Amino acid sequence: MKQENNNAHKFGMVIDLDKCTGCGSCMVSCMSENNVPFKEDESNKKDSITWMSVYKLTNGKSFPDTEIAYLPRPCQHCGGKGDHGHSPCVSVCPAVATDYGYDTGIVSQIYTRCFGCRYCMGACPYHARYFNWWDPKWPEGMENYLSPNVSPRMRGVVEKCSFCYHRYQAARDVAYYEGRDDIEEHEYQTACTTACPSGAIVFGDLNNPAHKIHQIVKPDPHPDPRNKHVIGKSRNPKVFRLLERLGTNPKVYYLSEREWVRKQGDSYLDGEWDKIKNHHGTSSHG
Amino acid sequence: MKVDRRSFLGLGIGAAAGIAVSPVGMKLTDDSAIWTQNWPWTPVPVDGEVTYESSVCSLCPGSCGISVRKIDDRPVKIEGLAQHPVNDGGVCLHGIAGLQYLYDPARVKTPLKKNGDKFEEISWDDAIELVAGKLADLRKNGSPEKLACIADKEQGSVSGLFQRLLKTVGSPNFYTMPSLESYLEVTAAALHGEGMTIGFDLENSDFVLSFGAGIIEGWGSPVSCFKANASRKERHAKLYQIESRLSNTAANADKWIPIKPGTEADLALGICAVLLKYNLFDSMVASEFRGGLNKFAIMLQKEYTPSKTAEITGVKASDIEKIATLFAKAKMPVAVFGKGRGDGAQSLKELAAVHTLNCLVGNINKKGGAFVRQKSEYLEFPDVSMDSIADAGFAKNKTGRYVNQLIEKVNKSSKPAVDVLFVYNANPCYSLHDPKSVKQAVGKIPFVVSFSSFLDETAKEADIILPSHTFLERLEDVPSCAGLAKSVVGLTEPVIDPVFDTRHAGDAVLLIAKALEGSVAESFEWETYDECLESVAGGIWDSLSEDGYAIVSEGAPFGSASVNISFLADNPATVQARGDDKLTLIPIDNMRLISAGTAASPFAVKTVSDKVLKGQDIVVEINPLTGKGLKDRGFATLTTPTGTARVMVNFNEGMMPGVIGMVEGLGHTFDNKYVSNKGINVNDLIGPVIESGSGLDAAFGIKAKISKA
Amino acid sequence: MDSALIPEGAKRCSFPKFTIGIAIVGAVLLWGVFAMFLCWFKGLNQTNMNDYYGFALWIWADLAVIAVGGGAFFTGLLRYIFKIDELKNIINFAVIIGFICYSSALLILAIDIGQPLRGWFIFWHANVHSMLTEVAFCLSAYFAVLTIEFIPNILENRQVNKVPFFHHLAHNMHGVMAVFAATGAFLSFFHQGSLGGVAGVMYGRPFAVREGLLIWPWTFFLFTWSAAAFGPCFTLLVTRITEAVTGKKLVKDNVIHLLAKISGWMIVTYIIAKIIDTIYWAMVTAPSLGFTLSHFYSNNGFYGYWILIAEIVVCGIVPGVLLVMKSTRENPTLRLVAIILGTIGVCLNRWVMVLQIMAVPVMSFDTWALYFPSWQEIATTILPVAYGIILIAVAYRYLPVFPQEQELNPVEPVTE
Repeated sequence: MKQENNNAHKFGMVIDLDKCTGCGSCMVSCMSENNVPFKEDESNKKDSITWMSVYKLTNGKSFPDTEIAYLPRPCQHCGGKGDHGHSPCVSVCPAVATDYGYDTGIVSQIYTRCFGCRYCMGACPYHARYFNWWDPKWPEGMENYLSPNVSPRMRGVVEKCSFCYHRYQAARDVAYYEGRDDIEEHEYQTACTTACPSGAIVFGDLNNPAHKIHQIVKPDPHPDPRNKHVIGKSRNPKVFRLLERLGTNPKVYYLSEREWVRKQGDSYLDGEWDKIKNHHGTSSHG
Repeated sequence: MKVDRRSFLGLGIGAAAGIAVSPVGMKLTDDSAIWTQNWPWTPVPVDGEVTYESSVCSLCPGSCGISVRKIDDRPVKIEGLAQHPVNDGGVCLHGIAGLQYLYDPARVKTPLKKNGDKFEEISWDDAIELVAGKLADLRKNGSPEKLACIADKEQGSVSGLFQRLLKTVGSPNFYTMPSLESYLEVTAAALHGEGMTIGFDLENSDFVLSFGAGIIEGWGSPVSCFKANASRKERHAKLYQIESRLSNTAANADKWIPIKPGTEADLALGICAVLLKYNLFDSMVASEFRGGLNKFAIMLQKEYTPSKTAEITGVKASDIEKIATLFAKAKMPVAVFGKGRGDGAQSLKELAAVHTLNCLVGNINKKGGAFVRQKSEYLEFPDVSMDSIADAGFAKNKTGRYVNQLIEKVNKSSKPAVDVLFVYNANPCYSLHDPKSVKQAVGKIPFVVSFSSFLDETAKEADIILPSHTFLERLEDVPSCAGLAKSVVGLTEPVIDPVFDTRHAGDAVLLIAKALEGSVAESFEWETYDECLESVAGGIWDSLSEDGYAIVSEGAPFGSASVNISFLADNPATVQARGDDKLTLIPIDNMRLISAGTAASPFAVKTVSDKVLKGQDIVVEINPLTGKGLKDRGFATLTTPTGTARVMVNFNEGMMPGVIGMVEGLGHTFDNKYVSNKGINVNDLIGPVIESGSGLDAAFGIKAKISKA
Repeated sequence: MDSALIPEGAKRCSFPKFTIGIAIVGAVLLWGVFAMFLCWFKGLNQTNMNDYYGFALWIWADLAVIAVGGGAFFTGLLRYIFKIDELKNIINFAVIIGFICYSSALLILAIDIGQPLRGWFIFWHANVHSMLTEVAFCLSAYFAVLTIEFIPNILENRQVNKVPFFHHLAHNMHGVMAVFAATGAFLSFFHQGSLGGVAGVMYGRPFAVREGLLIWPWTFFLFTWSAAAFGPCFTLLVTRITEAVTGKKLVKDNVIHLLAKISGWMIVTYIIAKIIDTIYWAMVTAPSLGFTLSHFYSNNGFYGYWILIAEIVVCGIVPGVLLVMKSTRENPTLRLVAIILGTIGVCLNRWVMVLQIMAVPVMSFDTWALYFPSWQEIATTILPVAYGIILIAVAYRYLPVFPQEQELNPVEPVTE
């Protein structure tokens, strides 16, 4: 078993789906922050680059018992089976163009390294990865608003959410300049987190018990006794992850009081949900 | 030496082998890869010094504080401004995408003059001279009242300058587009008296009874409402949403009460009836009521019994009683009106009936309730000087009470009812009902001046365009006019030099006034708009310029407010949707689109679901039961008394049977392919219905039929 | 006109007739080349691929041609390592088919990747954990081996062979071919396997993921086995087509029967393994992730149980049984049916393991995604077929591909 590195961060996110209104601020903030291009028709959602994408969930009931919820989906920054850093995408990239940062838990994407084989997109069940089918083009003059923090991508490469890694670098630079070893919680926040008008997104270090995300999620450091690949299961009964059963170990958690919403996090066989819905990590308090 | 085929072949093979083992191939391979990493057509943003500038977003009446990140002179990102009294850090998608408006392909880059069907560039000097000449002609002919102006709002210094110009020229014909603020004032005027407005203390209320107000659909000051809504969980506050569609607000609410569209007023009166019948109202407030509370009560017990109300509204009688009880028993209840964003058509009956609930439970001017206060007059313009022409013209009656009546008058009269029209920050040819007739009216006006930054639907109809700066290029006071509990004035500041040859609309007005000379020019003593603002905002200028905002009023106003119930006591008729068909088409406000005149940004349009817009087709929502014979994702023909459209169908269990929902904010036609020519403008399908008495266009939806295309 | 190049003692059609034939196929080839350049210069927006279908028709075509090209390594293995001497009469052709398949696969990959000029990063920045890296290395190496295996046959051209150096080179290369055959078999085992691994390791995709042995998911072994099983079917099919087109018997029946028999037994054993794998996946793997079998075969407009039955029963068990039983195997019609079904079967398997994986929704609120290729994708996929036909035609015309040709088709003395 690999020893936990105490200095390593494990940046993650918990999104309160009861607060999320589906307003789209996170999506636009992300696009604006990360120089995401746009094209004339973006209504084919299967070729529309949205690092942060908001899904609409319904409880499947008919009028007037219908309910809806919105689920923002950034890159899940999977730790992979056993949380060893072999994310579904990282493990398949033939050219190490996407990599797992063991010091941050962030899955990176190197656009100039990627040669566009798209294996990572096939491997990602969250559809968090997007391919540049077109050359990015901005209307005349509009390239003036592009930020130098994130390089615009060329045609033919894959891109995705980076947890605004450049903001982490900037915060670290400031800390270094001020002679501090580490950054404060508020110094590194993603563009979607700060933009959310409902305050539905909480971002921070899952390894740091002082951080709000740790307090909400209460991640279980031990493997789930029901599935040894699963590490970091939340001990908060209202918190779940997407497709946790696959063992991808995402660092994006979701919070909802509504059972039907939590149930949509994974697929369940008949009757299975009732048996496991009350299982929240191991009983230890490590 | 004999060069035969063999030695030639040998040489060739040798050369090939030589090149193959030399570094040339590797070098070329490497170079080509490096080239792909630096394609000249992929932009490389220039780095520079990072600075942050605070300003206020004025894309909607919300007036959120924003922080603009700049790299040297280039703004690169808009974010919410922490600690700002309106939004405290959060920001909506339209504000974040604000930079896209700066470089919008549809921007008017220089003054334009229409010649035939085409616009030609014209200098600012010539343009001002031309406009001033037209106004001078009006005055010379003794008909200065034939100058009309349509602006977005009444408040603020720029609107103030337009009003001042009209007054000094001699015209009473200043109009504003319908907005939540205008409805708040109309409601306050009907119930409490002129010069008042209403704010809702949503962030403190423990029971919000919303009559279709899209609290998280962009109603009021959106970010402030989002925050109030999000904090409900911690505050254990309840939200009951009365609406015919499972909107995001309804979905997020503690309870969704589906209602037949257009019967909200009846439900509100039905609840009033229960409150009065069971003495659930605050007996202390009875003394505040004027105009016949008894008559009102008797009328209600007769016309709005729970069973009658249930029949009208489709809400169960038991539910009506339950809602009434919950509302009355809550500590800090508040009833909120203004369907959708609150800027669409509303009837005074509905506005007054809903607000009467607030009056009855005695939450007026109490924490968590509805605040009735004076309109904030924070600007102090010096007195105008008017000559006899101006006096005579200004004393005349307005051509119509509201903008839709102005349009109707213009269309009906054979002689021009308006000779010169100014349009500022408004797009009536898009956002009023039946834009075709609006365009027809605008076309009948001999000289139309647009101050738009974009070549929008109304600017296209103009004879001359004096393009304004966008909100990122100008200084301006921005009062939050959005039903907030507090009254805040923000200061929009230029974060970039004007990108094009545009001018501040305030400066344009000053130039026109000065060109008119005489008493008009005398009333505009300032050299520039900036100087004007500093002087007229005198009282709050220090606060504005230092903090970027000034809080004009905060917390519950002192004292109570008298309530004039006479309008409702007469039981005015509920406005019925036009047409005879069985189904009702209603507009949907979607947070990711903008229903007012501006189009949503490319980023915002990009986020719009394919269940709202698919390619160029608008998608309508319909309950599968109502959509029998139609196919989900199939095409259909939607017909109303006003128009016909080809639409895509989306089966949505969240729609009340019998109702068709169509999103507002699509179907723009100006020259920006990223946001235009997508879907249709729902207003094309809805014609205005004027409420008798109030004069408001109160057409919430229209009767419609739908069949397979 | 080109009679000097035609193998001695062989009869070929007239040069103009040959030219016309080549021109017709060449037109199709040019259409494909045009589409290829469109993809290179305008980018992959020319395709109907999207963010749900990062892998689509091309990757299927790639996997399919490599699978059917498996006849080369397997026949080589049997011929040189297991010393089944009769197969020398078909090995040349098997190698040519393999060469065509593998060069096509590389070409398709060069079109498929978003940044073709950076394609070499797969070697330079190799990630040893990626199945695709393994594919790239083994595929390229094996293509080199196939080229080496093909060279002696080229050198046997009547004119080339006149050069003493080439003559001796060809002779000596034949001598050491066993080494290359062994290398080829080894490399093929890995790249066929790792192509299977490509799907099997995607543990985010319950439809694809398989348990396995050490780092290799079961699909690794199933792909290798199926390529060895169905590859010879394709070799036999192309031989049959060539015989039909030339109107000549080119390979003796005993050779055909032998290869068909081996193929048959391979198919039968493969399909048993495949059935066990499918049952284990459907009963254990997928349910452990919360998925029932019906999830993968319902609620969409295309993928139903029919595809499972078609792949395993109609195009798996049926050809296997037909080729194993002597009576049906030696019946030319039934044998043809079997090899056609077999070839379809392996292609169908590759389709399922590429495209159905992409189509199946994984998140509970996601939806099925169906896809139809653009003409550019179809044209570039047909391009290798046209190229293959031309290469076979040219090779057949000018090289002694079939050693038994002259024996089976003695040329009558020319009478004036």
